[in-house]
Amino acid sequence: MKNGHHWALIIIVLALSIFPIFLTGTPLPDAARSFWESSIGQPRGWVVTLRELSPLLIGGVAVLIALRAGLFNIGAEGQMLVGACAATAVALQMPNVSGAILAAIAGMVAGALWAYPAGWLKAYRGGHEVISTIMLNQIAVRLTAWFVKSPMKDPNQIADTSPRLAGAAEWVPVASFGRAHLTWAIPIGLLLCWLLWYWLRHRVAGYELQAVGANPRAAKVAGVNVSQITTRAMAASGALSGLAGATIVLADQGRFYENISAGRGFDALGVALLAGGNPLFVIPTSMVFAILNAGTSGMGLEGIPKGLSGLILGGLILIVGSLRTKTGGSDE
Amino acid sequence: MRALDAVDFSALPGQIHALVGENGAGKTTLMRVLYGALDVTSGTVLLDGNEVSMPNSAAAIARGIGMVSQHYSIIPALTTLDNLMLGAEPSFALDRKAATERAEALAKQMGFSFRWTDKAEALSPASAQKLEILKLLWREARIMILDEPTAMLSPLDADALYGSLKRLANEGATIIVVTHRLPEVFEFCDQVTVLRGGKLITTQPVPELTPATLAELIVGRPVEIPSLPESHPGKELLSVREIQVKGDRGDDALKSVSFDLHAGEVVGIAGVDGNGQKELFEALMGLRDVYSGEVFLGGIPITDAAPVKRLEGGFRLIPEDRHHEGVIEEWSLTDNVGLGLQNQPPIADRGRLDRGALERTASAVAERFRTKHGGLDQPMASLSGGNQQRFVAARAISGEPKVVLAFQPARGLDLAGIADVYAALRDVSRSGGGVLVVSYDLEELLTHCDRVIVLCHGHLAEPDADAARDRGAIGRLMVGVGE
Repeated sequence: MKNGHHWALIIIVLALSIFPIFLTGTPLPDAARSFWESSIGQPRGWVVTLRELSPLLIGGVAVLIALRAGLFNIGAEGQMLVGACAATAVALQMPNVSGAILAAIAGMVAGALWAYPAGWLKAYRGGHEVISTIMLNQIAVRLTAWFVKSPMKDPNQIADTSPRLAGAAEWVPVASFGRAHLTWAIPIGLLLCWLLWYWLRHRVAGYELQAVGANPRAAKVAGVNVSQITTRAMAASGALSGLAGATIVLADQGRFYENISAGRGFDALGVALLAGGNPLFVIPTSMVFAILNAGTSGMGLEGIPKGLSGLILGGLILIVGSLRTKTGGSDE
Repeated sequence: MRALDAVDFSALPGQIHALVGENGAGKTTLMRVLYGALDVTSGTVLLDGNEVSMPNSAAAIARGIGMVSQHYSIIPALTTLDNLMLGAEPSFALDRKAATERAEALAKQMGFSFRWTDKAEALSPASAQKLEILKLLWREARIMILDEPTAMLSPLDADALYGSLKRLANEGATIIVVTHRLPEVFEFCDQVTVLRGGKLITTQPVPELTPATLAELIVGRPVEIPSLPESHPGKELLSVREIQVKGDRGDDALKSVSFDLHAGEVVGIAGVDGNGQKELFEALMGLRDVYSGEVFLGGIPITDAAPVKRLEGGFRLIPEDRHHEGVIEEWSLTDNVGLGLQNQPPIADRGRLDRGALERTASAVAERFRTKHGGLDQPMASLSGGNQQRFVAARAISGEPKVVLAFQPARGLDLAGIADVYAALRDVSRSGGGVLVVSYDLEELLTHCDRVIVLCHGHLAEPDADAARDRGAIGRLMVGVGE
């Protein structure tokens, strides 16, 4: 892949994104300083950036595995929500270390089950996964909102939130730098990036999955069970999205509340698209997203709308996406 | 690179002029120059003695030059009449009544008959070819360029097509035909131009040449006419018993087809495109359901076996649609070589993909038929059609195939390439395998196959023993007469 082009364009997009700041009237140096300090320039920035990073890293891998199989998993958001919700339920029942591990597994199972129908519909009924995952997102939002309003609600709180997890059920950080925590979610995410890279390149199953993504007809002629791989790839994508959702609760928030994923599932889609099919590139692209999210939240305090990060990321994805279509799109 | 090097070419009205040469000889480039699709770096194009510039094909059409490409430009969902007019409608408001009258007059002049209000999807390959010619007449073309016009036609339809072309030539049209089929040149053409490596070799009246000298001019060295080895079929390898298979539209594409392929045999399946060949191969590969009847491999039933099981059992397919079924164009040659072989050693090692083996196989496969490529790590899309076909064919015979299903294995290949591919298929049969070949070129099948059977409207027919190599008898079976 000619990454040189992409990074050059990314810089152009970032430059163009400065214009909205002028519209808000904030002096540019102030805005830049605010962005810098609230992302990676100050320890308090790192707190936010690292918190943003882990779901994006794991979610990016999740979406990427589906992309390699030719599936556009818009449903990562919903899969994260059900994963987070299921993980909370388990962790509340088992307030100990094994509960913390089982909760993560429960998140994966919930995410996989939530994605499975979309994969099945695509494989056996020709239903487009974009439509079905969008629908499943809607259901996930409503369903988890009901859980936290009713059976899972903490009666001592006015807001709709689950009770706080017992400390033992939360993931302890790998390392802490002041208030900035490096949670287990980050080494797990890095490991997943590498595992997926290895699996795609050095396993027959990974080869077959990419053949399905690149040309399902040719894959079928080559003896690949296309329907089975489509279903499994979607379920695997859902499982990892569910894990990403679980880490939001277990390693960060310590509780579940309505819409806890807050659009990170859609960000994960951008992370995966920007990574251009290579799981190892998920590491830098998720970092870019995390920095942008952290930086623009900080700029929000200066009166610059937080929507700016969405604007920048949207521009990036559009440009990279159009480049990729033109060049045929493979990273083999 | 120079595709054409100082080539002179002239065609006269009233003649059928054949343009022949191997892959990469420059035939396509020359045609595109004549049709305004490509500009020359030096040299001129003269029309009726005057220099003309044709920046695009619209300009070429305006000057009375028309072209029928190998891939017909007919839109199945439109009616025959609308297809005829498309792009050259007589006026802004369509007057279909007047158009039908004019179309009918043109068809009558050529001896064609069409039902103008029927959808074009119902047209046979021969009728589609005729409609393409009518489209040129509709646009008042005086110079017609046809690229492999008989590639998809039965011998009878091909004869009829040349009859029509002859008639047009007699009325003063200039006909230029690009063809790989040398018998056609001798039977129907007046002049022949030979290109080789972008250079003009000769332009001569056809009667001055013999088939052997023409073949030598094309290849550049004496050509041995391949002689069929004596056939010693062994035991039954693949047995097909009364299978019925549905087509894409739910019709019966195969109606009770039975035959045997013996070890050591190369069997040709003749027939016009769309008579069940595709469905037969897909059913044999396990890509299409067989809803009645049975298939055996060495006596073991495999009717419902998954494609992967068949590949493991030694089935190999050279698919009909190379681009969509044979390769993944954006993948490298190395990655493409694994398709279909990915579950077998040496490429698969208990679930691990042995990339070293993949590279070695790719290099051996590319070597086998001298595939021209710019590196095994380059995408498949960077190869020309003929070279992709070489690669796909070589992949299909790598390893130790038992049954090779070859769908038009010679498609897009030149004489040398065709000889290579059939020699390799012959090797498969010599080492105890069996080969089934589908081709629309009966000459090709008669030259290379031990036995020729015919598919027509989903029925299989075998010529009588005394007519086993009789072009006329087999040709009649191909169109369903004279059984």
